[in-house]
Amino acid sequence: MSKNEIEVVDDAAMKRALTRITYEIIERNKGIEDLVLVGIKTRGIYLAQRIASRLKQLEGVAIPVGELDISLYRDDVHESDGREPEVNGSNIPVSIEGKQVILVDDVLFTGRTIRAALDALMDIARPRKISLAVLVDRGHRELPIRADFVGKNVPTSLDEQIKVEVEEIDEKDSVRIQKIK
Amino acid sequence: MKNRLLMLEDGTIFRGHAFGAPVEATGEIVFTTGMTGYQEAITDQSFNGQMIVFTYPLVGNYGINRDDYESIAPTCKGVIVKEHARVASNWRNQFTLDEFLKRKNIPGISGIDTRKLTRILREKGTVKGMLVQEKEDLNHAFDQLRAVVLPTNQVAQVSTTKPYPSPGSGKNVVVIDFGLKHSILRELSLRNCHLTILPYQTDAQTILDLNPDGVMLTNGPGDPKDLPEVLDMIRGIQGKVPIFGICLGHQLLALANGADTFKMRFGHRGFNHPVREIATGRIDFTSQNHGYAVDPSSINKDELMITHLEINDDTVEGIKHRHYPAFSVQFHPDAAPGPHDAVHLFDQFMELMDAWKEQQNNA
Repeated sequence: MSKNEIEVVDDAAMKRALTRITYEIIERNKGIEDLVLVGIKTRGIYLAQRIASRLKQLEGVAIPVGELDISLYRDDVHESDGREPEVNGSNIPVSIEGKQVILVDDVLFTGRTIRAALDALMDIARPRKISLAVLVDRGHRELPIRADFVGKNVPTSLDEQIKVEVEEIDEKDSVRIQKIK
Repeated sequence: MKNRLLMLEDGTIFRGHAFGAPVEATGEIVFTTGMTGYQEAITDQSFNGQMIVFTYPLVGNYGINRDDYESIAPTCKGVIVKEHARVASNWRNQFTLDEFLKRKNIPGISGIDTRKLTRILREKGTVKGMLVQEKEDLNHAFDQLRAVVLPTNQVAQVSTTKPYPSPGSGKNVVVIDFGLKHSILRELSLRNCHLTILPYQTDAQTILDLNPDGVMLTNGPGDPKDLPEVLDMIRGIQGKVPIFGICLGHQLLALANGADTFKMRFGHRGFNHPVREIATGRIDFTSQNHGYAVDPSSINKDELMITHLEINDDTVEGIKHRHYPAFSVQFHPDAAPGPHDAVHLFDQFMELMDAWKEQQNNA
């Protein structure tokens, strides 16, 4: 790890955060039968799958996990180039009509990705309720969006970026803050 | 060396050697399987009123040191060992186990077959026992032993009578003392918590008036059903503040939410108890000391969920409230003695308090 970065969530802390989010989902939903988890692009999908596996272990209910692919034009540098995130496609195995959907993403930043995801979900059907779970909330919202389930609040400045790694593709679980030069 | 007898209520007599204080004592006999950690065990208030059999055959070899106390005034009734080390050798050693027991007025017996004794306890469950000097007429002593009624006010004996603080700069945590182990305070202090330790019969409003970020329900001795007033307190604070319960605190959280507890035949005492976290499948080897457990069939699934199970016998080792930020474990994440595998539960408590505060601010 270079001196320009700090690990803010380690392997054990990430697993704890996901377990706590799972418990909070159970706390706030009377019955989890009509839940659908939808993970956003790469890492959100793995996080959604992990939450689903915890729910399966605890409650014996298999919660469907869908995927949304949203491509961002600018993910690392804050200054907007004026274009909005675009939804490239979705793969949601069940109907979300009337369901409680929980969107899952790794980092909540400007809120524009989530807005695009909301649009995409609403185009597909009309869920009864949509909530948002994120591993890291780094602040700097540009839209009136907030997460219902947060793994960790990490206050950041705009010349920093958050790097999330998950075991499934990065071979380790870690969240780091990096300084952009 | 003076002789000393250990009498069991079923009539069994073990003849051994006296060490520790020259007093006679009566208590419930329980065995603990840890290979080390006798200082922590003897000073653990969960052993209040009990005589501790150490199944490990050599006890006392590293003496007593400054760092391993779990309470100031231990209240166990006796120490039963196979071999008692008269010479203590360790760089931290301050004095011997024998001297320590003399200072604390606790009798000990050595030179008995602890394997045989443990087999009796495993078959018959915990029994009453008595440590006495050799005497001609033992029948009278047996009559006395059989007539002994074990106390039911054990928490009152070991809980603090007055509130006291343990200042820190971090989260404001209220600790309800049912006979707390110092290690619980150590782990919270290590995480910079500002602690207020309160007597066990404190009511809910007094606790909430301190504006705590979280409440810790500690371990303690005896039957959780002896503390009905505590259940009202727990019902009064749950849902208003995050709760973390350990051992007796876990049993009380269960009782407060309609579950039942039962007395186990010989309990879990030691630190080779594997526990599975259901959500993740993670296995931790845990330090345990409990003679009661939560009955899984009594758990109302709309109120509580089981989060941890013992692998050997499927006992309930952890629960969580279904609607409130309240969780508890039967084992000791604070270890002492034993493995530190489960110490992350204190981090979980810290993160739960953070998340709860954040939710309150957003609401």
